Amino acid sequence: MVIALVVIGLLLLIGIFFYNGLIGKKNQVTNAFSAIDVMLKKRFDLIPNLVEVVKQYTNYEQGTLSKIVELRSKAISGNTSDAEKALIDTQLSSSVKGLMVNIEQYPDLKANSNFINLQSTWTESEEQIAAARRTYNAAVTDYNNAIMMFPGSMFAGMLNFQPITVLTTAEEERKNISAKELFNN
Amino acid sequence: MLNLESNTALQNVLATLEVERQKIASTQKKGYIFLALGIIIIIASFSLNFPVPAAIAGLIPAIYAGIILYQIADELKAYKEAFKINVIGTALKSLDQSLVIEPYKGILDYEFESTQIFSQSPDRYNTEDLVSGHAGKTAFYFAEVHAEYKTEVQTKNGTRTEWHDIFKGILFAADFNKNFNGVTILKPKDLLGTMSAWFSKNLFSFGDNDFVTLENAEFSKTFITHATDQVEARYILTPAMMERILALNKNTKSTVSLSFINSRMYIAFPLSRNYFEAPVFKTLLNPDFLDQDITVINFMYNIIQELDLNTRIWGKN
Repeated sequence: MVIALVVIGLLLLIGIFFYNGLIGKKNQVTNAFSAIDVMLKKRFDLIPNLVEVVKQYTNYEQGTLSKIVELRSKAISGNTSDAEKALIDTQLSSSVKGLMVNIEQYPDLKANSNFINLQSTWTESEEQIAAARRTYNAAVTDYNNAIMMFPGSMFAGMLNFQPITVLTTAEEERKNISAKELFNN
Repeated sequence: MLNLESNTALQNVLATLEVERQKIASTQKKGYIFLALGIIIIIASFSLNFPVPAAIAGLIPAIYAGIILYQIADELKAYKEAFKINVIGTALKSLDQSLVIEPYKGILDYEFESTQIFSQSPDRYNTEDLVSGHAGKTAFYFAEVHAEYKTEVQTKNGTRTEWHDIFKGILFAADFNKNFNGVTILKPKDLLGTMSAWFSKNLFSFGDNDFVTLENAEFSKTFITHATDQVEARYILTPAMMERILALNKNTKSTVSLSFINSRMYIAFPLSRNYFEAPVFKTLLNPDFLDQDITVINFMYNIIQELDLNTRIWGKN
């Protein structure tokens, strides 16, 4: 009788651990996703300053600048979904990258300390977003493993936990950067 | 790269030091011979059952040996210091003008503990030979460190103290090229680490340092990574950085440990040899004796390049 109770107690305890573990992993995924969001916001906040500085020195990049401003306002408006935000970020990245290349033609701007500062903050935010995405993917993999492997799979079935897909890099980003392509645009 | 033959200043220093070395070597040799003689006489006199007068006769050379060895000790110390400052110092300057060696300085025990690489607090701590300077834009320093902890063993005759190494080798510190606030620690993967990582991942974790799963398979096989912030750990350990750390680790005999804390990166290289020590019984005029020291200096200096710490595009100058 006592042994039976101990076994049941132990099983219950293990069950609780695994259940809590699963919930913890699920929350980690949400948490990791919001980290990407924070990093994206940080990057979007850089745009107005960047545009201001570039404007002072050039008259020729108006088209690119207004496109960047437009993308930014779209990104920060309340009703943008996460997927859209990620898409906008990709477009923004490539526009800003293009802008940075064109800026090679403006030595005064290139030497401006505000601009240099912004440029490094931009690269910083780029790597921070990459780090946040990798964290998200690690959390998703962890969660997927937990719900697909026994005994987690039992709980996952009962709780209707579904596997989540990992983020993949946009096709453009995966390509190797070729200087020729950049300058032929 | 240092070329001993073509460096006349160094050749002169070595020639002067060589005279000093020969004097110390011959005095030490004399001291040891007298010491051995004294011991032999004492042992022989006891075995011949003729103890007292012969023992006194044996004590005389032993005491004489003690006196001359004691007298040369100060000169030996000065010679070793001169060697470090002049010979190692010149070797450092020929690599980069900013490099200096301070024989009596090191990395203090509180900094050693603040790296968080080692979980145990040392009971006995020795450090020497602090080398500091710049490689390009990046400031760095390294020093020899020997940290030990003690255990008390109960024996028939009371307690006996045993000393165990926490770390013996070179601790290297460099200013890191990215800003960060938390702590990221990389330790060689061992059974205990693997178990505690599994435990913290699947059940619950103790402390604030969570296990970080990284996507580079070889890296995860070599190191166990813990960090206070998952995103920050990946911001530091980019795919390129992981490859660079692996390449650096391939060039060392034992797996290194790393920590990223207080805007610095620390690397602990376990080494058994005591570096930058002047030879007493080997000539200074054969430049081969410096090979190992120069290899270590070059290796440390090249870390900055190898880990790409001079690329300062992330808002930190």
